[in-house]
Amino acid sequence: MARMEMGPGSPRGPEEFDGASEVVAAAHTQRRIALGYGLVFVLATLSVPVLTLFLPWWSGSRLLGGMSPSFVVVAGGLYLFFLALGIAAATLARSVEDRMLGTSPDDDGSPG
Amino acid sequence: MSGTDTVSLAVFAVVATVVSVVAWRHTRATTVDFFLAGRRTGMITNAGAICGDYLSAASFLGVAGAVYASGLDGVWYATGFAAGFVPVLLFVAAPLRRLGTVSLPDFLAVRFDSPQVRIAAVVAVELVILSYLVPQAVGSGVTWELLVGEGIGGLSPYATGIVVSTIAVGGIVVIGGMRGTTWNQALQFGFLLAVAIWLAALLWAGGFSYPAAVEQASTAPLQAVVGDRLVEVPNQLTGAPARFGTPGARYGPAGQLALLVTLVLGTAGLPHVMNRYFTAATGRAARTSTVWVLALAGTFYALAVMLGTAARVLVAGRAEEPWLAELTVEGVLRVPEHALPVLGRLLAGTPGLAVVSAAAFAAMVSTIGGLLLAAAASFGHDVVARIWRPTGGPREAVLAGRAAVLVVSALAAAVAIAVDPERLLASFPSVIATMVTWAFALAGSALTPAVLLGIWWRDATARGAVAGIWTGATTAIGALLVGLVIGANPSDGLTAVLLAPAMIAAPISTATIVVVSRLDTGPPVSPRVWTRMHGTAADRQAERMARITLRGRG
Repeated sequence: MARMEMGPGSPRGPEEFDGASEVVAAAHTQRRIALGYGLVFVLATLSVPVLTLFLPWWSGSRLLGGMSPSFVVVAGGLYLFFLALGIAAATLARSVEDRMLGTSPDDDGSPG
Repeated sequence: MSGTDTVSLAVFAVVATVVSVVAWRHTRATTVDFFLAGRRTGMITNAGAICGDYLSAASFLGVAGAVYASGLDGVWYATGFAAGFVPVLLFVAAPLRRLGTVSLPDFLAVRFDSPQVRIAAVVAVELVILSYLVPQAVGSGVTWELLVGEGIGGLSPYATGIVVSTIAVGGIVVIGGMRGTTWNQALQFGFLLAVAIWLAALLWAGGFSYPAAVEQASTAPLQAVVGDRLVEVPNQLTGAPARFGTPGARYGPAGQLALLVTLVLGTAGLPHVMNRYFTAATGRAARTSTVWVLALAGTFYALAVMLGTAARVLVAGRAEEPWLAELTVEGVLRVPEHALPVLGRLLAGTPGLAVVSAAAFAAMVSTIGGLLLAAAASFGHDVVARIWRPTGGPREAVLAGRAAVLVVSALAAAVAIAVDPERLLASFPSVIATMVTWAFALAGSALTPAVLLGIWWRDATARGAVAGIWTGATTAIGALLVGLVIGANPSDGLTAVLLAPAMIAAPISTATIVVVSRLDTGPPVSPRVWTRMHGTAADRQAERMARITLRGRG
């Protein structure tokens, strides 16, 4: 496979490489993952105001004191959801990069 | 101004100055050092700096003010601001850093290999920066008015706040560059978060119950001050009087959707926030920093919402106190943005007001610093070093960047002084947050589509990007102008979309890029650029070098 040298120059070891075709495949996979997580993000976020329009109990009932389910989700729940989604997406993206890119061995024998 | 106010502002000024001078001593007159802090910013420091950059007056004063004014509908400001980082994490952070560029226009110009893209992006970036700077300056004027209440040299208190903050931040950025601004932003965000936690702790120590406060605030119909009288806020969904804890106090379905889309799309196109990603050591570090941002910003916004709720209840209960009577009409604040400073005074007396006001200044200063640095990078690097005088060298680019800081800050201050916040308050209850939304709309319409398609669609061409940037910018600006001229209702209906126009302008920009790129016979992205943007060779190399360095030290 034709390999493209991409790493910055270093006097302390061999350069890291990414093959053009493996980058194309990895980018394709990353795009699919990002779109999937993006769809979950959009649906979850938009569901909050949509539920308000169609389910009266969503904003009319009381869950905690004067807080409706809608208030609890908007004022706190969504931030936790964004964080959980972000951690999951970042972990999966890194895992895909580790599996699909950088097959050349590191100078100490560990995978790049 | 009390002694406490003076001390808090003086401590704030001394810390910012010391940090800037120390950073100046570590900064060489090179592009990477002045504009990018040597690309060695740590992940958590960068996350703190991104939060400091992002959490502006709109977040610190505006979110609590919006919640105070509109209850649950105001909470959506906080949600939209926080949500904006999810697309950044999913689609932008790592590839943006990996291309190894200096600024957002530089990124687009290298990706599309086109000076025309660079010019279009520079124009869009400078417009976004200016439209974002003005509300920050308005915020500093409003805060000075409340905290100090006196002008200097014949200026009104409002104008004095603007002039003082402009001179202070311009100096910090010119002296400290990206390194000083990064350290200042991270420290200032730490201060903001600490103040929010401190206020929450004071509330809980006093027996405050969040659920009970929402219930209490929701018992009577929501009221707002218009002119000198109190009016009931109508529910945009039902037409009945609005209540604090239920939706509809501010938005109908169209208005809410337009706001959310604008805030979510706008974040990925904000030049001062995206520029921070270029300072990360690797693409992976940039992505991980964004996870930290979601945690830190989420914590801050959740607290800000609670504090806005607390202000709604506590201000009404103590409106008879003489100092508060001046700021209220029958227990309701005249200016919702005063909610947090007033809460500080209610909970901790004048020291509380001083600390909260210093935090508000910190929020404005850190955001203004980031905006000015983004202006400096796009002018110094993109205009001078890449277009105007490519042979001029890095010293000339840095000098041009410093000059740009002074010009842009003076321009923003002049516009902010000309703006009359009292007049705008009649139409927009949370004027700072509203004005920031306009900057988000411009960024989300002009820049975000080009950034997203440039990263993920190999067939996007330079002509497509140029057409998309111009179309998005003109559509967003045109919609905003039409909305303001016709007196569009920001709450609902089709006219609400005119005041948060990313919902229409971003799809138009995206469609333009796709159609023009499809019709274009120009080359698609170069394989070298695509490999740099989506490969991890440079990340692995940097991580290996870091391991070797650590082993050497051990």
